[in-house]
Amino acid sequence: MNKTMVEARDQLAGASTESGRGGLEAPGSRGFWAEAWIRFRRRRLAMIALWYVVILAIVGVLSPAIVGTRPIVCKYKGRIYFPALAYYNRRWEPAIFFRDKFRQRYPENLKKRDPTSWAIWPLVYQDPYRRVGENEWPGQPGNPTGAQGRPNRYNLMGTTQEGIDVFAQMVHGARTALLVGFVSTGVAAAIGIFIGALAGYFGGWIDIVLSRLIELVMCVPTLVLILALLAIIDKPTIWHVMLVIGVTGWTGIARLTRGEFIRLKNTEFVLAARALGAGGLRIIFRHILPNALAPVLVPISFGVASAILIESGLSFLGFGPPPPHPSWGTLLNAGRTNLQMWWLILFPGSAIFLTVLAYNLIGEAIQEATDPRLREAGK
Amino acid sequence: MLAYLVRRILIGLLTLVLITFVVYALIRNMPGTPLTYQLGETDPSRKIRPEDLERMKRAYGLDKPWYVAYFQWMGNLLRGDLGRSLSRKQAVSVLIGERIGPTLLLSATSLILAYLLSVPLGLYASVRNGTYDERIISTLLYMLYSLPSFVAALFLLSVFAMQLAGTPFELPLFGMYSDHFRELPFFGKVLDIMRHMFLPVLCYTYGSLAYFCRFVKSNMLEVIRQDYIRTARAKGVPPTRVVVVHAFRNTLIPFVTLVGLTLPGLLSGSVILEQIFAWPGMGRLFFEAITERDYPTIMGLVLMFSVLTLLGQLLADILYAVVDPRVTYS
Repeated sequence: MNKTMVEARDQLAGASTESGRGGLEAPGSRGFWAEAWIRFRRRRLAMIALWYVVILAIVGVLSPAIVGTRPIVCKYKGRIYFPALAYYNRRWEPAIFFRDKFRQRYPENLKKRDPTSWAIWPLVYQDPYRRVGENEWPGQPGNPTGAQGRPNRYNLMGTTQEGIDVFAQMVHGARTALLVGFVSTGVAAAIGIFIGALAGYFGGWIDIVLSRLIELVMCVPTLVLILALLAIIDKPTIWHVMLVIGVTGWTGIARLTRGEFIRLKNTEFVLAARALGAGGLRIIFRHILPNALAPVLVPISFGVASAILIESGLSFLGFGPPPPHPSWGTLLNAGRTNLQMWWLILFPGSAIFLTVLAYNLIGEAIQEATDPRLREAGK
Repeated sequence: MLAYLVRRILIGLLTLVLITFVVYALIRNMPGTPLTYQLGETDPSRKIRPEDLERMKRAYGLDKPWYVAYFQWMGNLLRGDLGRSLSRKQAVSVLIGERIGPTLLLSATSLILAYLLSVPLGLYASVRNGTYDERIISTLLYMLYSLPSFVAALFLLSVFAMQLAGTPFELPLFGMYSDHFRELPFFGKVLDIMRHMFLPVLCYTYGSLAYFCRFVKSNMLEVIRQDYIRTARAKGVPPTRVVVVHAFRNTLIPFVTLVGLTLPGLLSGSVILEQIFAWPGMGRLFFEAITERDYPTIMGLVLMFSVLTLLGQLLADILYAVVDPRVTYS
């Protein structure tokens, strides 16, 4: 194939994709996604949900800067360090603080070992993994334990039985929820779209085999599959949990993708692409998939909600990642054995509820904004 | 119809074999065996001699590789034998039989409640669509739909079992019976079980109620715009009759599918809810069997859940043909 032909093909393919999106349009008019965004914005609840999710994401990403016992930035013995990064990954804790035997007590040790040092601290001095003791931070009393740990000035959402701050666990748990939501749904979407696309596009025996596979996974109760898969792994980390949730949650996406591909594979723009010599994979991913993406986004948004739900459910059952790991579900589990400590139930419970609600609202708004059938019904 | 049924059942059987094979492979490869689990429970001084361990392994069929053991399990199954539980020294069928009642008590009650409440509520919401009260109902239902049942269960428990303790509204924390259950008269027994059932049933019901309601409403809104509804209105049919007879009857098809799809949920129960309320049902049995590595019990339960799922799908398809004369499978 010479160069001009390739260019011509790409142009034609591009044009056909455009026409598939929004019909014949005058140049400069809004595209499909811009149109959908305008309709999405009209739904006030969905916009509130979107803001909630964005703020939650910011809180999750910045969690070590909001609550922590490690300084965000500090100058120690003439060099600048970022110890708070250790909350993302234990191995990122600068080695010098191990050598100087800080033992996680930054405020006193920084002053003691280097009087000229300075540090920028997180907004709240509390830790999601351990109890903060008395005068660890000048003037701050030690965390109360047991039923004494109701919300107070220093522990905004109270403390657990062991005296670990709930607010710190909530903020760092937001990071977990964010990660779980996106990684497991990402895994599920990748598997689901790939299998659905193959089944829908090729049809025939490939479709029969893949459809059986989808049915198979749908038939086994999700929790059965997840518990069995998690039990196989010796020491499940958060990554294993996310992977398992993703591997079990792709069937809805696959079914929808398959349907969309069956609908689209006989359209003119696919025929045009094929006539120009585009290969199967190119047609699937460059030509059909962009046009099938809108309806597939809906189960993906619901998938984020259910992934967060499953993770907190698993942590609640004690099948989540091992204990020193902030998760809303783990907190709830602590509340289950201490029912009179209402703050262990109210705060994480509400967080899980609001997050699931937000993703459901967003999913529904995407559905109504991108589905022309529902759009007419709304008028 | 018959040919269709036979084909569906054959495909279903194939799916069943595949599911059980996959699950068997998974659980046999979990670290630990039922034997190591039991040994961990007893005190370490009474350690089992290696030759005894070998003998026990042979007795339980654990000495063979899993694929051989799978076909053994399959062979026993064909003879109607689900095997014996390793950790409870009881036949799996007996064990499941014991647990099926409590689970059905919860799930059947909640399913019936959900159906009975959702149809009138959904119809009301679709008739009053766009008004103030409909907005409130729909928003509330939507929020309920997103409220995870284990969160709701904990909220309810902390209110009813803790805050209201000592008042007449106090509800029991967990279990199915009170300690003095045996001494109660018949009505006392019924009342006792009902008091224990109240919170679990509530947690089971509200989610599906919200879901069914939204389902009824969205289907109704689609039907109510049809021409034949306008015709019925124009010729003077009373409004309630239009809604119930002309509109609702035409939304029955998707509703019936839903009945089929909720069937497996009847028995699989909710692992998490039964765990919270310490309800002696199937979900709890499954959870215990997984932690005890009790292979025959896990397999028996998985088999039952998958059979029900497949049956539910088949039932939904058959009911389709029953409610909609346009659908035939010949």
